[in-house]
Amino acid sequence: MTRYTDTQLDALRELANIGSGTASTALSGMLGKSVDISVPNAFVLPMAEAVGSIGDPESDSTGVVLGIVGEMPGSVLLLFTPKDAELMCGLLGVEAGSEYGISALMEIGNIVGASYINALGQMIGMELEPTPPAAATDMLGAIVQSVLAERAGAGDVALLLDSDLVVEGEDCSVSFLLVPDQGGVEQMLERLGV
Amino acid sequence: MAETMVRMGELATSAVAGDVLVSLGLGSCIGLALLDRRLGVAGLAHVVLPSSGGNAPLGSWKFADYAVPELVDRVVKLGARRPMLEAVLVGGASMFAVSKSSLEVGQRNEAAVRELLREQHINVIAKETGGSRGRTIRVYVGSNKVTVKEAGGTEKPLIAGASVVAA
Repeated sequence: MTRYTDTQLDALRELANIGSGTASTALSGMLGKSVDISVPNAFVLPMAEAVGSIGDPESDSTGVVLGIVGEMPGSVLLLFTPKDAELMCGLLGVEAGSEYGISALMEIGNIVGASYINALGQMIGMELEPTPPAAATDMLGAIVQSVLAERAGAGDVALLLDSDLVVEGEDCSVSFLLVPDQGGVEQMLERLGV
Repeated sequence: MAETMVRMGELATSAVAGDVLVSLGLGSCIGLALLDRRLGVAGLAHVVLPSSGGNAPLGSWKFADYAVPELVDRVVKLGARRPMLEAVLVGGASMFAVSKSSLEVGQRNEAAVRELLREQHINVIAKETGGSRGRTIRVYVGSNKVTVKEAGGTEKPLIAGASVVAA
């Protein structure tokens, strides 16, 4: 199992922090409300433990995933609890669970995810492009496992950079995972010089 | 009675009546149950990817080509008779309708597991695979019940006791 030093994890966390800062600005502009970010977590976990660290695998969740293509392939996954999805849709004036609700969440995912990916690319000096978003409302485990299978599949560990965007005064948040392909972590660390 | 969680890339077996083997929220992954129903021996593998490409370290049970033969060996070691083994498959969905590659992973997982079972001459007696829904599989050791549950749904039997419900 690959191990990262505390310094390396701090650097990855800082990367997530700046990325989600940019993403929160994008979300704030979209919702017309102030958006805070939580202190991000960096998890490097054996794949078996990765899903459980995020939440109850059977809980309901809506996931919006964007692929990253370019020098560092990976995925960005935004996760909404049913309550968060409802509040988020409410803020955009559409009904959660409806076709409009899903496309509103995908649009949030698109704007927030793409700004995160662009910020990340600029920080590490790589050409990164987001792919169009895809959404699913289902069991949290099924959503997260499918993204991990696609990305971290070849390795034994999953790197998850997790942060929350919290909409001020609405008690509504979206959590955010960056899942790079296996070699991507080393590439990022190399660019960061740690 | 003990519920054993079989997480991504893990395997579990039991011959203790009352034990339950569970994989929660399978998406593109496959939950593969093997049973010797007469003797009440069962195993469950949580397969993540179809093939190791031949160069993964030993113990990489997330790959179908490692997990399937290993699960067969383990249930046989627990007393199951190889010719009596039967399989139940759950999962292999494509969670994200637009994402072509995740669709491929689910389908390729199922195809790989089926091919490996065919090589071992093990029949698939029930399955709930494909589509775009996540699923939980539970294997009840001893009573030989295998159930599947989708998000927001109820647990429904795929095989119940000795009688085959769906194939």
